Amino acid sequence: MSITEAEAAQLSFERPSGLWADAWDRFKRNPAALVGIVLIVVFILAAIFAAQIAPFEPNEQAGPLATNPAGPGGEHLLGLDMQGRDVFTRILFGARLSLLVGLVSVSVGLALGLVLGSLAGYLGGRVDFAIMRVMDLMLSVPGLLLAIALVTVMGRGLISIMLAVGIVQVPTFARLLRGSILGQREADYVLAARSVGVPGRRVLLGHILPNSIAPVIVQATLAMATAIIEVAALSFVGLGPNDPRLPEWGKMLAENANRLQQSVHLVLFPGLAIVFSTLGINLIGDGLREAIDPKLKT
Amino acid sequence: MPLLSVQDLEVKFFTRRATVHAVRGTSFDLETGETLGIVGESGCGKSVSALAMLGILPKTGRVTGGRVLFGDQDLVGMSDAKLRKIRGKDIAMIFQDPMTSLNPVLKIGRQMTEVLTKHLPMDKQQATAEAIALLDRVGIPNAADRLGDYPHQFSGGMRQRVMIAMAIACRPKILIADEPTTALDVTIQAQILDLMKKLVVEEGMGLILITHDLGVVAGVCERTNVMYAGRFIETGPTRKLFERPRHPYTLGLLRSVPRLDAQRKEKLDPIGGSPPELTKLTEGCSFAPRCVYATEESRARTPELRPIEGNDHLVACWNPVPDADLPHAPTDRPAAQ
Repeated sequence: MSITEAEAAQLSFERPSGLWADAWDRFKRNPAALVGIVLIVVFILAAIFAAQIAPFEPNEQAGPLATNPAGPGGEHLLGLDMQGRDVFTRILFGARLSLLVGLVSVSVGLALGLVLGSLAGYLGGRVDFAIMRVMDLMLSVPGLLLAIALVTVMGRGLISIMLAVGIVQVPTFARLLRGSILGQREADYVLAARSVGVPGRRVLLGHILPNSIAPVIVQATLAMATAIIEVAALSFVGLGPNDPRLPEWGKMLAENANRLQQSVHLVLFPGLAIVFSTLGINLIGDGLREAIDPKLKT
Repeated sequence: MPLLSVQDLEVKFFTRRATVHAVRGTSFDLETGETLGIVGESGCGKSVSALAMLGILPKTGRVTGGRVLFGDQDLVGMSDAKLRKIRGKDIAMIFQDPMTSLNPVLKIGRQMTEVLTKHLPMDKQQATAEAIALLDRVGIPNAADRLGDYPHQFSGGMRQRVMIAMAIACRPKILIADEPTTALDVTIQAQILDLMKKLVVEEGMGLILITHDLGVVAGVCERTNVMYAGRFIETGPTRKLFERPRHPYTLGLLRSVPRLDAQRKEKLDPIGGSPPELTKLTEGCSFAPRCVYATEESRARTPELRPIEGNDHLVACWNPVPDADLPHAPTDRPAAQ
C-alpha cells in the first residue's frame, strides 16, 4: 500500500460519521452518564432475568407469616415481608413491572405529544392556538393530581395507570417539540426542500422532524424516571394496580409504610430500588442532553 | 413565446404592524438559454420575486397581482399539488447559503435521490447512480463515496456544488440562482460561477441570477434588470447597461464599486441616504429623495419603464442621466462576455 493510500484509509477512518456518532463520542466521556448506564443495565437485566435470578416465586410463601418478619440475612437476602414472601424476589419482579410501566406510559405520552406538537408547530395559527391552550390547561393541574383524576375516571388497573401517567406527560412533549419545530420551520433547508417540490407532509416528517427530535429524545429518557415515580406514587396513595399479588415497588412501600419502625427493610429496599432506577435514568438523560445539545459542545 | 413570462408581479407581506409592498409590478421575459440578471440592494424585492414565482413565499407573504406564465400555465394561483410537480423539475432554485440550505441530519445521497425519485420515474438504485453522475458533473471528487456523507463534512464551495447538482438533477428548463456565490469566498465564487455558466450552456437552461454583486452580473448575464424598492428601474443588455447606465440609481451602483482600471486615488462614490421603507410608499419615483437629478415631476408622478436608445434598453426615470455625466464612458473594457 502506498503512503497516499494509507493516508486515505486513515482519513476515512477518522471521518466523523454523523450527529449520533458525535453525540456518542461525547456521551462516552461523561462519567456520570456511564454510571447511569451501569445502573440501568443492572435494572434491565434484573427485569429480564427476574425469573432466573430470583431464589423464590414472587408470591411464594418462603417463610412464616409474621408481624415482625425476619430482616436481611441468610437465605433471604433482603428479608421477608409479613406474608412471608422473599423481598429480594419481589423487588426483582418489581423491576419488570416498573420497566414495563415506564416504557408504555412514556410511549403513550411521546406518541400523543409528537402528533400534537408537530401539528401545532408546523401548521401554526389557530390549530397551534387550540392545541397549546389545551396543553396549558393540562399543565395548570399538578401532574400527579391529574393522574389521580384520570385513574379515578378510568378505573384502577395497570392499563389505566400507564395511560394516566402517559397522558400527564403529553403537554411536556408537545410543547418541547412545538418549540423545536418553530425554530426549524423557517430554516433555509426547509425552503430548499420546498423549492424542489417536496410536499408539506414530507417536509415535516422527513426534514423538520429529524432536526427537531433531539431534545424530545432527551425528555423521553427523563420522563421514564418520572413515570416510574408517578406510578409508585399512585400505588402509594392506593390507586395502584388492584391485584394484591403484583410486586409493584410503590405498592410495597405503601403496604409497609406503617411498619417502618419495626421492619425498616420492608420500606428501605423497594425505596432504594426506585431511587437507583430513576437516578440511573436521570443520569443517562442528562448525559444525552449534554451530548446532543450543540450549544454545550466543547 | 418566451419560456417564462412574468407580468406585473406584485407581492405584499401582511404583518401585524404593517403591510409591506415588497414587489410592485415587475415584468420580464426569459427565453430558453437566456441568462438574466436581477440586481439591487438588500430588501429591494429580488429574492421575494423568485420565491413568489415558485409559490414558496413565507406565510405572511402573498402574490397580490400579476401573472407568472410558464408556457401557457399561470403559476400564480396554481394549486400547490400542481406547483410541486413544476418546482424542482422544470424550475429549480439555488439558494444563498449552502451552509444552511442542506438538511444537516440527512446524508446528501438521501437528499439528492429524494428529488430524483420524486420527479422522475426512477427507482432507488437508478436515482443513486444518477446522483453519483450529477455530483461528478459538478466537480465533486470521489462522488460515489460521498453520497453517504452529511452536509457538515463538506466545505462551503462543495456544498454549493451539491446544491447545484440537486437543482439540475431533473434537467430543469429554468434555474433561479439567488445570490449563489455571496456566502463563498472569492476564488470559490469564480469556480461556482464558471460551473453554472457551463451547465446553463450545456443544458440550454434559462438562468435567472439574483445578486447584489455587479461583477457577478457582468460576468454571467446577457441581460440585466436593476431593481429598486420593489420595481425594475432599468433593464437592458448587460454591456449597454454597464457602459451607459441611464438611471441615476444604476449609475450610483456602478460608481460605488471599485474598478481595476480606475486611478488609485479615485474615491468610491456611495449613494447617499437609504432606500424607502416599503410600508409607506407614496406616489412619485422612489429614488427621488436620494437622486441629484430629481425634479418636482419625479416626486409627483411614478415613472414607468420606457425605451431609451433602442427597444432593448428601458429606464424608469423622468430625467435619465445625461451623456456628459457618465463616468468612464465609453469604456473599452469588456463588461460582459
